Amino acid sequence: MHGAEAAQTATVRSVAHVDVTSISLFFALLAVLGGAAAVAVLAISFVASNAVVRLRHDVADAALPLALLVAATCTVGSLYYSEVMHYTPCKLCWFQRIFMYPLVVLLGIAVARKDRSVRRDVLPLSLIGGAISIYHYQLQRFPQQRTSMCTIDAPCTAKEVEQFGFVTIPMMALVGFALISALMFCLHGAARTAASATPIDEPETS
Amino acid sequence: MNYQPGNRPSRRRAPWIIGAVLTAMAITFASVMIISSGGSLSNDGEPDAAEDAMGVVNGAVAISGTALPTVPQAGADPALGRAFPSLQGTNLFNGSPLTIGADGRPKIVIFVAHWCPHCQAEVPVITQWMAEHGKPHDVDLYAVSTAVAPERGNFPPASWLQREKWPIPTMADTTDGNAFKAAGLTGFPSFVVLDAAGNVLSRPSGELSTRQFELLLAQARS
Repeated sequence: MHGAEAAQTATVRSVAHVDVTSISLFFALLAVLGGAAAVAVLAISFVASNAVVRLRHDVADAALPLALLVAATCTVGSLYYSEVMHYTPCKLCWFQRIFMYPLVVLLGIAVARKDRSVRRDVLPLSLIGGAISIYHYQLQRFPQQRTSMCTIDAPCTAKEVEQFGFVTIPMMALVGFALISALMFCLHGAARTAASATPIDEPETS
Repeated sequence: MNYQPGNRPSRRRAPWIIGAVLTAMAITFASVMIISSGGSLSNDGEPDAAEDAMGVVNGAVAISGTALPTVPQAGADPALGRAFPSLQGTNLFNGSPLTIGADGRPKIVIFVAHWCPHCQAEVPVITQWMAEHGKPHDVDLYAVSTAVAPERGNFPPASWLQREKWPIPTMADTTDGNAFKAAGLTGFPSFVVLDAAGNVLSRPSGELSTRQFELLLAQARS
Protein backbone atom coordinates (compact mmCIF):
# COMPACT_ATOMS: atom_id res chain seq x y z
CA MET A 1 0.00 0.00 0.00
CA HIS A 2 1.35 3.45 -0.90
CA GLY A 3 2.14 5.86 1.92
CA ALA A 4 -0.58 8.37 1.04
CA GLU A 5 -3.15 5.63 0.68
CA ALA A 6 -2.11 4.12 4.00
CA ALA A 7 -2.33 7.51 5.70
CA GLN A 8 -5.79 8.08 4.23
CA THR A 9 -6.95 4.65 5.40
CA ALA A 10 -5.57 5.33 8.86
CA THR A 11 -7.34 8.69 8.99
CA VAL A 12 -10.67 7.18 7.93
CA ARG A 13 -10.22 4.42 10.49
CA SER A 14 -9.43 6.98 13.18
CA VAL A 15 -12.46 9.13 12.35
CA ALA A 16 -14.74 6.07 12.32
CA HIS A 17 -13.25 4.97 15.63
CA VAL A 18 -14.00 8.35 17.25
CA ASP A 19 -17.53 8.31 15.89
CA VAL A 20 -18.40 4.87 17.15
CA THR A 21 -16.86 5.71 20.51
CA SER A 22 -19.02 8.84 20.81
CA ILE A 23 -22.17 7.06 19.70
CA SER A 24 -21.43 4.16 22.04
CA LEU A 25 -20.91 6.60 24.89
CA PHE A 26 -24.28 8.18 24.07
CA PHE A 27 -26.05 4.82 24.05
CA ALA A 28 -24.25 3.79 27.23
CA LEU A 29 -25.36 6.96 29.02
CA LEU A 30 -28.92 6.32 27.83
CA ALA A 31 -28.62 2.78 29.17
CA VAL A 32 -27.53 4.02 32.60
CA LEU A 33 -30.32 6.60 32.72
CA GLY A 34 -32.78 4.05 31.33
CA GLY A 35 -31.82 1.52 33.95
CA ALA A 36 -32.49 4.00 36.73
CA ALA A 37 -35.79 4.95 35.08
CA ALA A 38 -36.82 1.30 34.80
CA VAL A 39 -36.26 0.77 38.54
CA ALA A 40 -38.20 3.96 39.36
CA VAL A 41 -41.11 3.09 37.05
CA LEU A 42 -41.24 -0.45 38.40
CA ALA A 43 -41.32 0.92 41.96
CA ILE A 44 -44.21 3.29 41.34
CA SER A 45 -46.09 0.51 39.58
CA PHE A 46 -46.51 -1.45 42.79
CA VAL A 47 -46.54 1.13 45.62
CA ALA A 48 -50.02 2.01 46.85
CA SER A 49 -49.70 5.46 48.48
CA ASN A 50 -51.92 8.22 47.11
CA ALA A 51 -49.08 10.39 45.83
CA VAL A 52 -47.51 7.46 44.06
CA VAL A 53 -50.82 6.40 42.55
CA ARG A 54 -51.18 9.87 41.04
CA LEU A 55 -47.65 9.69 39.67
CA ARG A 56 -48.36 6.20 38.37
CA HIS A 57 -51.29 7.51 36.36
CA ASP A 58 -49.21 10.36 34.98
CA VAL A 59 -46.50 7.94 33.87
CA ALA A 60 -49.13 5.51 32.58
CA ASP A 61 -50.55 8.27 30.39
CA ALA A 62 -47.13 8.66 28.81
CA ALA A 63 -46.20 4.95 28.91
CA LEU A 64 -47.10 4.01 25.34
CA PRO A 65 -45.19 6.80 23.56
CA LEU A 66 -42.27 6.37 25.97
CA ALA A 67 -42.13 2.62 25.32
CA LEU A 68 -42.28 3.34 21.60
CA LEU A 69 -39.38 5.79 22.01
CA VAL A 70 -37.34 3.15 23.87
CA ALA A 71 -38.04 0.44 21.28
CA ALA A 72 -37.26 2.81 18.42
CA THR A 73 -34.00 3.91 20.06
CA CYS A 74 -32.94 0.30 20.60
CA THR A 75 -33.80 -0.55 17.00
CA VAL A 76 -31.91 2.43 15.60
CA GLY A 77 -28.95 1.58 17.84
CA SER A 78 -28.77 -2.03 16.72
CA LEU A 79 -29.09 -1.03 13.06
CA TYR A 80 -26.36 1.58 13.53
CA TYR A 81 -23.95 -1.04 14.83
CA SER A 82 -24.73 -3.60 12.12
CA GLU A 83 -25.40 -1.42 9.06
CA VAL A 84 -23.18 1.61 9.68
CA MET A 85 -20.35 0.15 11.72
CA HIS A 86 -20.67 -3.28 10.07
CA TYR A 87 -20.50 -5.25 13.31
CA THR A 88 -21.71 -8.78 12.62
CA PRO A 89 -24.59 -9.63 14.97
CA CYS A 90 -24.06 -12.92 16.78
CA LYS A 91 -26.81 -15.52 17.16
CA LEU A 92 -27.97 -14.17 20.53
CA CYS A 93 -28.00 -10.63 19.13
CA TRP A 94 -30.37 -11.85 16.42
CA PHE A 95 -32.67 -13.45 19.00
CA GLN A 96 -32.86 -10.15 20.87
CA ARG A 97 -33.60 -8.31 17.61
CA ILE A 98 -36.44 -10.75 16.96
CA PHE A 99 -38.07 -9.62 20.20
CA MET A 100 -37.22 -5.92 19.95
CA TYR A 101 -38.05 -4.98 16.36
CA PRO A 102 -41.73 -6.01 16.43
CA LEU A 103 -42.23 -3.82 19.49
CA VAL A 104 -41.75 -0.72 17.34
CA VAL A 105 -44.66 -1.77 15.12
CA LEU A 106 -46.85 -3.00 17.98
CA LEU A 107 -46.30 0.10 20.10
CA GLY A 108 -46.56 2.41 17.10
CA ILE A 109 -50.01 1.08 16.27
CA ALA A 110 -50.99 1.18 19.95
CA VAL A 111 -49.93 4.82 20.24
CA ALA A 112 -51.94 5.73 17.16
CA ARG A 113 -55.00 3.88 18.48
CA LYS A 114 -54.37 4.85 22.12
CA ASP A 115 -54.75 1.16 22.87
CA ARG A 116 -53.48 0.39 26.36
CA SER A 117 -54.39 -3.28 26.08
CA VAL A 118 -51.30 -3.76 23.92
CA ARG A 119 -49.37 -4.34 27.15
CA ARG A 120 -50.57 -7.96 27.04
CA ASP A 121 -48.83 -8.40 23.69
CA VAL A 122 -45.77 -6.34 24.54
CA LEU A 123 -44.91 -7.88 27.91
CA PRO A 124 -44.22 -11.44 26.67
CA LEU A 125 -41.91 -10.06 23.99
CA SER A 126 -40.07 -7.69 26.29
CA LEU A 127 -39.69 -10.21 29.13
CA ILE A 128 -38.40 -13.00 26.87
CA GLY A 129 -36.10 -10.55 25.09
CA GLY A 130 -34.81 -9.35 28.46
CA ALA A 131 -34.14 -12.91 29.57
CA ILE A 132 -32.06 -13.50 26.42
CA SER A 133 -30.16 -10.27 27.11
CA ILE A 134 -29.37 -11.43 30.65
CA TYR A 135 -28.06 -14.75 29.31
CA HIS A 136 -25.98 -12.98 26.64
CA TYR A 137 -24.56 -10.48 29.12
CA GLN A 138 -23.48 -13.11 31.62
CA LEU A 139 -21.96 -15.09 28.75
CA GLN A 140 -19.80 -12.07 27.96
CA ARG A 141 -18.82 -11.83 31.64
CA PHE A 142 -18.03 -15.54 31.98
CA PRO A 143 -17.06 -16.69 28.47
CA GLN A 144 -15.63 -20.05 29.57
CA GLN A 145 -19.04 -21.62 30.17
CA ARG A 146 -19.91 -22.23 26.51
CA THR A 147 -16.49 -22.91 24.97
CA SER A 148 -12.87 -22.08 25.64
CA MET A 149 -12.22 -20.57 22.21
CA CYS A 150 -13.57 -17.86 19.91
CA THR A 151 -14.59 -18.39 16.32
CA ILE A 152 -13.67 -15.89 13.66
CA ASP A 153 -17.21 -14.92 12.63
CA ALA A 154 -19.31 -13.47 15.46
CA PRO A 155 -18.74 -15.11 18.83
CA CYS A 156 -21.40 -14.33 21.42
CA THR A 157 -18.66 -13.85 24.00
CA ALA A 158 -16.94 -10.95 22.22
CA LYS A 159 -17.58 -7.43 23.51
CA GLU A 160 -17.70 -5.10 20.51
CA VAL A 161 -18.67 -2.23 22.79
CA GLU A 162 -17.85 -1.71 26.46
CA GLN A 163 -18.40 1.60 28.21
CA PHE A 164 -17.87 2.37 31.91
CA GLY A 165 -16.52 -1.15 32.28
CA PHE A 166 -19.94 -2.79 32.25
CA VAL A 167 -22.23 -1.38 29.54
CA THR A 168 -22.05 -3.70 26.54
CA ILE A 169 -24.56 -4.11 23.70
CA PRO A 170 -26.55 -6.87 25.48
CA MET A 171 -26.67 -4.64 28.58
CA MET A 172 -28.12 -1.82 26.47
CA ALA A 173 -30.71 -4.24 25.08
CA LEU A 174 -31.48 -5.49 28.59
CA VAL A 175 -32.16 -1.95 29.79
CA GLY A 176 -34.41 -1.36 26.77
CA PHE A 177 -36.43 -4.50 27.45
CA ALA A 178 -36.55 -3.73 31.19
CA LEU A 179 -37.76 -0.17 30.68
CA ILE A 180 -40.45 -1.24 28.21
CA SER A 181 -41.55 -3.99 30.62
CA ALA A 182 -41.63 -1.54 33.53
CA LEU A 183 -43.77 0.89 31.53
CA MET A 184 -46.16 -1.93 30.66
CA PHE A 185 -46.36 -2.93 34.34
CA CYS A 186 -47.09 0.71 35.14
CA LEU A 187 -49.93 0.68 32.58
CA HIS A 188 -51.21 -2.53 34.13
CA GLY A 189 -51.06 -1.07 37.63
CA ALA A 190 -52.90 2.07 36.55
CA ALA A 191 -55.55 0.00 34.79
CA ARG A 192 -56.07 -2.13 37.90
CA THR A 193 -56.41 0.97 40.08
CA ALA A 194 -58.92 2.42 37.65
CA ALA A 195 -60.84 -0.87 37.51
CA SER A 196 -61.03 -1.12 41.30
CA ALA A 197 -62.31 2.47 41.53
CA THR A 198 -64.69 2.30 38.58
CA PRO A 199 -67.11 -0.63 38.62
CA ILE A 200 -68.27 -0.01 35.07
CA ASP A 201 -66.15 -1.68 32.42
CA GLU A 202 -64.48 1.01 30.46
CA PRO A 203 -62.69 0.53 27.16
CA GLU A 204 -58.95 0.48 27.76
CA THR A 205 -58.10 3.60 25.84
CA SER A 206 -56.35 6.66 27.11
CA MET B 1 -58.64 13.87 50.07
CA ASN B 2 -57.71 10.42 48.75
CA TYR B 3 -56.77 10.37 45.15
CA GLN B 4 -59.15 8.45 42.93
CA PRO B 5 -58.81 7.90 39.22
CA GLY B 6 -62.20 9.47 38.72
CA ASN B 7 -61.04 12.83 40.05
CA ARG B 8 -57.69 13.01 38.32
CA PRO B 9 -56.24 16.46 37.87
CA SER B 10 -57.50 18.22 34.80
CA ARG B 11 -53.98 19.12 33.68
CA ARG B 12 -52.49 16.15 31.88
CA ARG B 13 -48.80 15.64 32.54
CA ALA B 14 -48.02 13.04 29.89
CA PRO B 15 -46.81 15.59 27.31
CA TRP B 16 -44.50 17.09 29.95
CA ILE B 17 -43.06 13.70 30.84
CA ILE B 18 -42.44 12.83 27.18
CA GLY B 19 -40.96 16.29 26.59
CA ALA B 20 -38.67 15.90 29.59
CA VAL B 21 -37.44 12.52 28.36
CA LEU B 22 -36.78 13.86 24.86
CA THR B 23 -34.98 16.87 26.33
CA ALA B 24 -32.82 14.63 28.52
CA MET B 25 -31.90 12.54 25.46
CA ALA B 26 -31.05 15.65 23.46
CA ILE B 27 -28.90 17.06 26.28
CA THR B 28 -27.10 13.72 26.64
CA PHE B 29 -26.45 13.56 22.90
CA ALA B 30 -25.25 17.18 22.75
CA SER B 31 -22.95 16.66 25.75
CA VAL B 32 -21.39 13.58 24.20
CA MET B 33 -20.86 15.35 20.88
CA ILE B 34 -19.30 18.39 22.57
CA ILE B 35 -16.98 16.19 24.63
CA SER B 36 -16.06 14.15 21.54
CA SER B 37 -15.34 17.15 19.35
CA GLY B 38 -13.21 18.68 22.10
CA GLY B 39 -11.28 15.45 22.49
CA SER B 40 -10.62 15.10 18.77
CA LEU B 41 -9.14 18.56 18.31
CA SER B 42 -5.74 17.26 19.26
CA ASN B 43 -5.96 14.69 16.46
CA ASP B 44 -6.30 17.24 13.67
CA GLY B 45 -2.59 17.73 13.34
CA GLU B 46 0.34 15.44 13.61
CA PRO B 47 0.00 11.92 14.96
CA ASP B 48 0.11 11.98 18.75
CA ALA B 49 1.87 9.70 21.20
CA ALA B 50 -1.09 7.35 21.40
CA GLU B 51 -0.98 6.77 17.65
CA ASP B 52 2.76 6.15 17.84
CA ALA B 53 2.17 3.56 20.54
CA MET B 54 -0.34 1.70 18.39
CA GLY B 55 2.48 -0.33 16.85
CA VAL B 56 1.91 -2.45 13.78
CA VAL B 57 -1.70 -3.47 13.37
CA ASN B 58 -1.57 -5.58 10.24
CA GLY B 59 1.39 -6.43 8.04
CA ALA B 60 2.26 -8.23 4.86
CA VAL B 61 3.01 -11.93 5.32
CA ALA B 62 4.86 -13.91 2.65
CA ILE B 63 3.83 -17.55 2.82
CA SER B 64 6.09 -20.27 1.42
CA GLY B 65 4.84 -23.80 1.15
CA THR B 66 1.42 -25.39 1.12
CA ALA B 67 -1.36 -24.21 3.40
CA LEU B 68 -2.44 -26.75 5.99
CA PRO B 69 -5.89 -28.34 5.74
CA THR B 70 -8.56 -26.84 7.99
CA VAL B 71 -8.75 -28.25 11.50
CA PRO B 72 -11.65 -30.76 11.48
CA GLN B 73 -14.47 -30.40 14.00
CA ALA B 74 -13.97 -34.03 15.01
CA GLY B 75 -11.66 -36.87 14.20
CA ALA B 76 -7.98 -37.06 13.35
CA ASP B 77 -6.19 -33.91 12.26
CA PRO B 78 -5.16 -34.35 8.58
CA ALA B 79 -2.32 -31.84 9.07
CA LEU B 80 -0.34 -34.05 11.43
CA GLY B 81 3.08 -34.77 9.98
CA ARG B 82 2.72 -32.17 7.25
CA ALA B 83 5.14 -29.28 6.83
CA PHE B 84 4.05 -25.98 8.34
CA PRO B 85 4.29 -23.20 5.72
CA SER B 86 7.04 -20.67 6.30
CA LEU B 87 5.76 -17.24 7.34
CA GLN B 88 7.78 -14.12 6.64
CA GLY B 89 6.19 -11.04 8.12
CA THR B 90 6.54 -8.09 10.45
CA ASN B 91 7.15 -7.94 14.18
CA LEU B 92 4.03 -6.51 15.80
CA PHE B 93 5.97 -4.43 18.30
CA ASN B 94 8.76 -2.82 16.31
CA GLY B 95 8.02 -3.45 12.65
CA SER B 96 11.20 -5.46 12.11
CA PRO B 97 11.16 -8.55 9.85
CA LEU B 98 10.11 -11.77 11.56
CA THR B 99 10.24 -15.27 10.10
CA ILE B 100 8.52 -18.37 11.42
CA GLY B 101 9.83 -21.34 9.49
CA ALA B 102 11.74 -24.59 9.70
CA ASP B 103 15.21 -23.89 11.11
CA GLY B 104 16.02 -27.12 12.89
CA ARG B 105 14.38 -26.19 16.20
CA PRO B 106 10.99 -27.28 17.55
CA LYS B 107 8.41 -24.53 17.84
CA ILE B 108 5.02 -23.58 19.18
CA VAL B 109 3.16 -20.91 17.22
CA ILE B 110 0.30 -19.26 19.12
CA PHE B 111 -2.44 -17.45 17.18
CA VAL B 112 -4.31 -14.79 19.18
CA ALA B 113 -7.00 -12.17 18.47
CA HIS B 114 -7.02 -9.01 20.58
CA TRP B 115 -10.80 -8.98 21.04
CA CYS B 116 -11.15 -12.64 22.01
CA PRO B 117 -11.83 -13.07 25.76
CA HIS B 118 -10.20 -16.50 25.75
CA CYS B 119 -7.01 -15.06 24.26
CA GLN B 120 -7.15 -12.29 26.85
CA ALA B 121 -7.31 -14.99 29.52
CA GLU B 122 -4.59 -17.18 27.97
CA VAL B 123 -1.94 -14.50 27.44
CA PRO B 124 -1.40 -13.86 31.18
CA VAL B 125 -1.16 -17.61 31.83
CA ILE B 126 1.72 -18.04 29.39
CA THR B 127 3.31 -14.75 30.45
CA GLN B 128 3.24 -15.87 34.07
CA TRP B 129 4.68 -19.27 33.17
CA MET B 130 7.57 -17.63 31.30
CA ALA B 131 8.18 -15.21 34.15
CA GLU B 132 8.56 -18.20 36.48
CA HIS B 133 10.46 -20.60 34.19
CA GLY B 134 12.18 -18.30 31.71
CA LYS B 135 12.32 -18.74 27.98
CA PRO B 136 12.49 -22.45 27.02
CA HIS B 137 16.01 -23.16 25.76
CA ASP B 138 15.01 -25.98 23.46
CA VAL B 139 11.66 -24.83 22.05
CA ASP B 140 11.08 -21.56 20.21
CA LEU B 141 7.85 -19.73 20.92
CA TYR B 142 6.19 -17.43 18.39
CA ALA B 143 2.83 -15.73 18.24
CA VAL B 144 0.70 -14.30 15.45
CA SER B 145 -1.73 -11.46 16.08
CA THR B 146 -4.62 -12.06 13.70
CA ALA B 147 -8.29 -11.17 13.01
CA VAL B 148 -7.75 -7.53 13.93
CA ALA B 149 -11.05 -5.68 14.35
CA PRO B 150 -10.75 -2.24 16.01
CA GLU B 151 -14.48 -2.08 16.70
CA ARG B 152 -14.36 -5.24 18.82
CA GLY B 153 -12.38 -3.60 21.59
CA ASN B 154 -9.04 -4.11 23.34
CA PHE B 155 -7.43 -2.44 20.33
CA PRO B 156 -4.66 -2.14 19.20
CA PRO B 157 -3.22 -5.61 19.76
CA ALA B 158 0.33 -4.32 20.33
CA SER B 159 -0.85 -2.17 23.25
CA TRP B 160 -2.72 -5.09 24.79
CA LEU B 161 0.24 -7.46 24.56
CA GLN B 162 2.71 -4.86 25.81
CA ARG B 163 0.39 -4.12 28.71
CA GLU B 164 0.42 -7.84 29.53
CA LYS B 165 4.24 -7.88 29.24
CA TRP B 166 3.96 -10.55 26.54
CA PRO B 167 7.48 -11.92 26.10
CA ILE B 168 6.99 -13.82 22.83
CA PRO B 169 7.99 -12.49 19.38
CA THR B 170 4.71 -11.76 17.64
CA MET B 171 3.97 -11.42 13.93
CA ALA B 172 1.25 -9.10 12.61
CA ASP B 173 -1.04 -11.07 10.32
CA THR B 174 -2.50 -9.55 7.14
CA THR B 175 -5.85 -7.80 7.10
CA ASP B 176 -7.38 -10.95 5.60
CA GLY B 177 -5.67 -13.22 8.13
CA ASN B 178 -3.56 -15.05 5.55
CA ALA B 179 -1.20 -16.57 8.12
CA PHE B 180 -4.17 -17.82 10.14
CA LYS B 181 -5.70 -19.32 7.01
CA ALA B 182 -2.40 -20.88 5.94
CA ALA B 183 -2.27 -22.63 9.31
CA GLY B 184 -5.76 -24.03 8.65
CA LEU B 185 -7.11 -22.79 11.97
CA THR B 186 -10.69 -21.99 12.92
CA GLY B 187 -10.58 -20.40 16.38
CA PHE B 188 -8.63 -18.40 18.95
CA PRO B 189 -6.41 -18.99 20.72
CA SER B 190 -4.86 -21.75 18.62
CA PHE B 191 -1.53 -23.46 19.06
CA VAL B 192 0.51 -25.16 16.34
CA VAL B 193 3.19 -27.47 17.71
CA LEU B 194 6.05 -28.17 15.28
CA ASP B 195 8.93 -30.59 15.50
CA ALA B 196 12.53 -29.68 14.61
CA ALA B 197 11.84 -30.44 10.94
CA GLY B 198 8.92 -28.00 10.90
CA ASN B 199 6.22 -30.67 10.70
CA VAL B 200 2.94 -30.36 12.59
CA LEU B 201 2.67 -32.41 15.77
CA SER B 202 -0.67 -31.02 16.95
CA ARG B 203 -3.01 -28.00 16.57
CA PRO B 204 -4.98 -27.59 19.81
CA SER B 205 -7.21 -24.58 20.35
CA GLY B 206 -8.89 -22.89 23.30
CA GLU B 207 -7.64 -21.78 26.68
CA LEU B 208 -4.89 -23.98 28.05
CA SER B 209 -3.85 -24.38 31.65
CA THR B 210 -0.22 -24.12 32.66
CA ARG B 211 -0.06 -27.93 32.79
CA GLN B 212 -1.50 -28.25 29.28
CA PHE B 213 0.98 -25.68 28.00
CA GLU B 214 3.84 -27.69 29.53
CA LEU B 215 2.53 -30.80 27.77
CA LEU B 216 2.74 -28.93 24.45
CA LEU B 217 6.34 -28.02 25.22
CA ALA B 218 7.08 -31.67 26.00
CA GLN B 219 5.40 -32.71 22.77
CA ALA B 220 7.53 -30.24 20.78
CA ARG B 221 10.70 -31.64 22.38
CA SER B 222 9.77 -35.27 21.65
